[in-house]
Amino acid sequence: MILPLFKRDITACVRMFLVLFAVICMYTVIIIYLFDPEFAHILNDYQELLPDMMAAMGMVGAAATLLEWIQVYLYGFIMLLLPLVFAVILMQKLINGYVDSGTMANLLATPNSRRRIIRTQAFAAVFWMAVMMGAVTLVGAVSSELLFPGELDLKGYLLLNAGTFLVQLLICGITFAAACVCSESRQYYLFGAGIPVLFFLIQAVANMGEKLDWLKYLTIFTLLPTAEIVQGEGGIWPEFLIMGVCAAALFGCGSIWFEKRELYV
Amino acid sequence: MELSHLTKTFGNGRGIFDVDFSVERGEVFGYLGQNGAGKTTTIRHLMGFLRPDEGACSIFGRDCFADAETIAEKLGYLSGEPVFFHDLTGEKYLEFMAGMRRMKSRKRMLELMDLFELKEFGPVRKLSKGMRQKLGLICTFMDEPEAVILDEPTSGLDPLMQGRFVELILEEKKKGTTVLMSSHMFEEIEKTCDRAAIIREGHIVDTFQMQELAKRRQKIYTVQFSDEEAAGRFVKRTGEPDGWQSAVMPAITVTAQKGSLVEMTVGGPPAALLGVLSGAGISDLTVRAQSLEELFLQYYQTRPEEPGHERRTT
Repeated sequence: MILPLFKRDITACVRMFLVLFAVICMYTVIIIYLFDPEFAHILNDYQELLPDMMAAMGMVGAAATLLEWIQVYLYGFIMLLLPLVFAVILMQKLINGYVDSGTMANLLATPNSRRRIIRTQAFAAVFWMAVMMGAVTLVGAVSSELLFPGELDLKGYLLLNAGTFLVQLLICGITFAAACVCSESRQYYLFGAGIPVLFFLIQAVANMGEKLDWLKYLTIFTLLPTAEIVQGEGGIWPEFLIMGVCAAALFGCGSIWFEKRELYV
Repeated sequence: MELSHLTKTFGNGRGIFDVDFSVERGEVFGYLGQNGAGKTTTIRHLMGFLRPDEGACSIFGRDCFADAETIAEKLGYLSGEPVFFHDLTGEKYLEFMAGMRRMKSRKRMLELMDLFELKEFGPVRKLSKGMRQKLGLICTFMDEPEAVILDEPTSGLDPLMQGRFVELILEEKKKGTTVLMSSHMFEEIEKTCDRAAIIREGHIVDTFQMQELAKRRQKIYTVQFSDEEAAGRFVKRTGEPDGWQSAVMPAITVTAQKGSLVEMTVGGPPAALLGVLSGAGISDLTVRAQSLEELFLQYYQTRPEEPGHERRTT
């Protein structure tokens, strides 16, 4: 790792982090605040009335407990999409922006290998995603405790966040690989943002009906074992492991590609 | 720096082909060519950003792509379009680059800031082209490199700062720094370089000693005659075997005539020409040095084969 570069990575992304973090916090607090077993019933009724609409928003499953509530109304949509946006902007700032603007030449002209540079950027991205998920987890746990003391299944909540973190790492892997391969910003957005968003849309469609259920095999979000986590069942580790390994593989391939590629900077 | 048979093709006939020259230690080498001739592509190979299709290049005896990190320890680089991080101020940027280079001393950096009269900069995005160029030059030289690669180093600099740049290069030359600089401006190359290569459409067409090229450089006289008739008379006489040519001066070559305006090059001292012109009814006279382009043109047309002239066939 190159310390001056890492420091710069931190300062360069802090503003963008704060904005997205504020938005996520707002949603988190509001959703938790809205938790009401009575209201949950109403929404369950909605799900029966308008199953497709609600499912498209990722809102599937009964929400009798606070954890279920959070999972259905927060981690089915907001917590998948907003960290995804974070991941896309992160790689743009950390890698693609340097290549597209030509400033990568300045970095490469210093006595630091491409490998060290790209690994520093990968580390910074993972670091930022961990900070984001950690901070959101903390905000969610604290506001749950303040608003509904003792209601939250903390272990389940932590596992849900760990799983979401792994999904987001996988998305980071995709955006990282795209940033390492692409030179121009529009190419990067096409693949780096396009692929994860496509997965996200497939997920939304797959949720909608039984006939389209098979689509769930085409999206990475199926790897997140939400039902098992919420119901406190075991058997989630294989999925966690798969997500971790895939993310690591994508980071590895991206950095090897970057070391060998040609750069018109 | 060694480039041997370096070839990189981009399709539709563009790229660089069989580029082959070397820059000796302590030498200041000019790399001349028009825009799009392949200067920057060559430099990107030397910096290890691109890999050659064929051939190889090395600096300090190391392969430019594989050992870019090691080479960079002793190499300074100024890119053709210096771009910086827009969110930083100039000082912070220099400090950041110093950190990236693991520099211990800031002495040379401050010296260079003095030389280019840079005291305080605002945010980089607000800097003018010339200011950015200065910032880039400081960055290139602040780590006391043994060799530097400069892509169009003086573009955007005002004449005073171009002068400072020449000073800097001469000072570095004394220290024994190896310099490769690309340019399409003659002045800075003429004042600083020992040797130069000309690249044209991706091919090296010539490598030569600088003094030799400077000798061949002529002055262009533009003469405004009182009327077209006078101009015509003058041009006609220069063409006659017993005109001015033999009698008064060795060589007047008329390169263009437009109405009463005549452009010519003159071999030899100007005194004789002035004598001739004073009786020919002229109203104005301007003298300028040949531009690099005109020189190239002349150079290609005459194709001299002189001793000390390293001819390369491509």
